[in-house]
Amino acid sequence: MSNTSEKFLINLLDHGCFKSWTFSQDVCLTCGICSSCCPASGIDGFDPRKLVRMVALGLQDEVVEARWPWICTICAKCENVCPMDIDISNIVRRVRSLRDRDRVPGVLQKGVEMALKTGNILGLPKEDFIFIVEDVAAELAEEPGFEEFKVPIDKKGANILCTIHNKLVNTHTEDLKHWWKIFYAAGEDWTISSDYWEGCNWGYFTGDDMASKTMVGRIAENLKKLEIKNFLWCE
Amino acid sequence: MATRSGFERWYPEALKKLGTYTVFDLIIKYIKEGRITLDKSKFDMLITYHDPCHYGRKAEKLFGHGYFEEPRWILDQCVENWVDLYPARDNQICCGGGGGALTTGYNQERIYYGRKKMEQIKATGATMIVVPCDSCHSQLNNLKKEYEMDNLQVKYLWELVADCLI
Repeated sequence: MSNTSEKFLINLLDHGCFKSWTFSQDVCLTCGICSSCCPASGIDGFDPRKLVRMVALGLQDEVVEARWPWICTICAKCENVCPMDIDISNIVRRVRSLRDRDRVPGVLQKGVEMALKTGNILGLPKEDFIFIVEDVAAELAEEPGFEEFKVPIDKKGANILCTIHNKLVNTHTEDLKHWWKIFYAAGEDWTISSDYWEGCNWGYFTGDDMASKTMVGRIAENLKKLEIKNFLWCE
Repeated sequence: MATRSGFERWYPEALKKLGTYTVFDLIIKYIKEGRITLDKSKFDMLITYHDPCHYGRKAEKLFGHGYFEEPRWILDQCVENWVDLYPARDNQICCGGGGGALTTGYNQERIYYGRKKMEQIKATGATMIVVPCDSCHSQLNNLKKEYEMDNLQVKYLWELVADCLI
């Protein structure tokens, strides 16, 4: 190939928005260690190396339309073994952020929108939330050794506030009791909040940093309002 | 993890006035201060432990500390008979339930993804796996049906602690 045609081919590549990304995608050595350790390698003919190379080459439409960045679990095993320290997790999140929001797979986008609108992914009204946790608390108080148990909701100045995973007030309410038993046994001064009680943040999964920021900001505001001393990272 | 990294990234001033605990630090504090006492004889079956990606590798990168020792210390306080998966800690294999995989609808792919985790668990011969993560807990419970491991008990780390309370 002559020098002229090489130049011509390189000029055909348009790196698009990827050009400004600072995830070190351009320094990939194509060694493939990332692909060797990834449990999702091979699905749809994809693997981490292929993704990184496609981003480095600016194949934006192909990458954004692919299912694979949503099948990847962002587990970071690939970047942990990468000799060039390429930030593959953040590449995947940014690729996800480029999808049209109405084409985000599954229930993820609905969950994000519901959380922004109502304060939680389930769209569970405050009174229903309070009913559920008090009902489970009454059940726990029937167990031997926990007779005096009560769930402190919105207790101002509490030593500890913990968030709750949405499945614990939905399909897995029994699992609320484990932490409650520990708090009770330890004599902890703890509370949960009836507003913004959720610890999940699906904005992280959809690559929607603005949504993520709003949800975290609400928790921060709430902790301040309730004058909480310590926050337990439950998720 | 998303909440903690969000605080550090966007609301660092809030963390100046607020104390924080991880689930591990708080349980360890209660045990060391004698506020809870645990009975190590409640579970005598072989138990193993799964390192969630976000408490291990990702916490190490984001917060400068991976929670590998802490859950193992807690396990030592709860049970006599537990073994690590291989590989574990920062070389662990993801269960396949992270990154929103439980909600995308790509279920066949998610179950296929989990095959390596189930092979690891099978290789230990353990009948209980302890996890400190809601997503891993859902995924492992889902996988055991698919990989003929119905007898495997999946237990939250804090559930194990609560079960061992005296």
